[in-house]
Amino acid sequence: MSELLNENIYVEKTSLFDFHNKMNAKMVSFGGYYLPINYAGGIISEHKHTRSKASIFDVSHMGQIEINGPFVMEAMEKILPISFSKVLPGKIKYTQFINSEGRIIDDLMIHRTNNENSVWLVVNAACKEKDMRHLKKNLNKNFTINLRDDLSLIALQGPKSELALSRVIPCISSMEFMSSIWVNYKNYKVLISRCGYTGEDGFEISIPNKNVTSFTEILLKNPEVKLAGLGARDSLRLEAGLCLYGHDISQEITPLEAGLKWSLDKERLNNADFIGGYAIKDELINGSKRNLLGFLPKGRAPAREGTLIYDSQDNLIGEVTSGGFSPSLSIPISMGYINSSLLDQKEVFLDVRGKKIPTEVVRLPFLSHNYFKKVN
Amino acid sequence: MADIFYTKDHEWIKVDNGEGVVGITAYASEQLGDIVFVELPQKGMSFDQGKDVAVIESVKAASEIYTPATGEILEINSSLEERPEVVNNDPLGSGWLYKMRVLKPEELKSLMSEEDYNKLIGAKS
Repeated sequence: MSELLNENIYVEKTSLFDFHNKMNAKMVSFGGYYLPINYAGGIISEHKHTRSKASIFDVSHMGQIEINGPFVMEAMEKILPISFSKVLPGKIKYTQFINSEGRIIDDLMIHRTNNENSVWLVVNAACKEKDMRHLKKNLNKNFTINLRDDLSLIALQGPKSELALSRVIPCISSMEFMSSIWVNYKNYKVLISRCGYTGEDGFEISIPNKNVTSFTEILLKNPEVKLAGLGARDSLRLEAGLCLYGHDISQEITPLEAGLKWSLDKERLNNADFIGGYAIKDELINGSKRNLLGFLPKGRAPAREGTLIYDSQDNLIGEVTSGGFSPSLSIPISMGYINSSLLDQKEVFLDVRGKKIPTEVVRLPFLSHNYFKKVN
Repeated sequence: MADIFYTKDHEWIKVDNGEGVVGITAYASEQLGDIVFVELPQKGMSFDQGKDVAVIESVKAASEIYTPATGEILEINSSLEERPEVVNNDPLGSGWLYKMRVLKPEELKSLMSEEDYNKLIGAKS
């Protein structure tokens, strides 16, 4: 029965689909798209290459949304827990769509552009339609909400990203972390954003679909740059302690539980004047039910999503939401939620196939971030 | 001369004089990708054919290993504890998983020859 249903689910191809096949990618369906899980080198080597040099990831499955209209920032502030007065034009902010119960509908990047009447969003693939509905419901007809599926998105991530990209587009060298610019390249325009999802310095580049393959090939001519797939993207973001929607965060989880308080504007939170504001303010006063933490299970067995967490008295106290093997640290790492009344536990036990593995509780991230800091 | 048999789940067993060596095929190791952990059964335990006896974890996922024949575990490849990647590097040789006493040699007839196995994976790729 479920197999029958699966056959009817349409899986889309990104504009790089033929290119991935030519490059011997192992393809999987993810978020409704066929994407490479890895290329010939394998996940571990792609992961390590990204940490030491630079890798290109096809992230065209993500939703790029352009919203235009008078006083668009003011209108978006009613939906998002951010303050545009603290985001300069050309800067990017990480934030979440939150429902009235204070739980996460999606997490996203929002760009304040140089145009007062325009903002740019990058949202998760599997949440695109839900996000569009949320936006249409909460923005009036004066705004145009445009899902820019004419654009592909590639991420260039790793400490050599700036060196590699600046050989193609020299002006990106002066860019600050979490900023974006439109650049003319050849006869088309690309949007370059200095951000990413690996814990490394890097860029995400929006490119017209018909130009994305040639642009990717040009970037790949850099000796530092290789291709990497979703497998490495997942292990990189896990080491960096970054949440994956549908796993570590969801409509069951609040931003405070997920350790995302840093992304909520203090004043906005105090005024509670955005969707979900009251619920979050209430949670801030009364405390969260659970909290996201890092786990280091002893031994080599990875403790994956769904692994149950016990205390030393064998009480069930939580669950792993992401877990695997860390290629950089060569040990298993997991993240998950523990009931907040039991937060002071230093050692817990993860149930891996019936074996209770002694596990150290740690703060996230597992590996410190290596984002670009401008030296003046 | 040892006989080698294959399962549809991509295990192999090399049988010589009532003793079998078990591992996974090169195709399986390739499909799994980087192997990071191998959980093996204990020496002395006995299992029926087709029973899950071991787990191989790649970066991507955990996969169960089903024993190709009924028997008793005689020895495990404990070097895989520290170096699980050997299963990727040499799945048919030093990446073997365990040795067993084959108690029901007639079961081996239900397994595939190398030629049949190659046809199976040829059809998949």
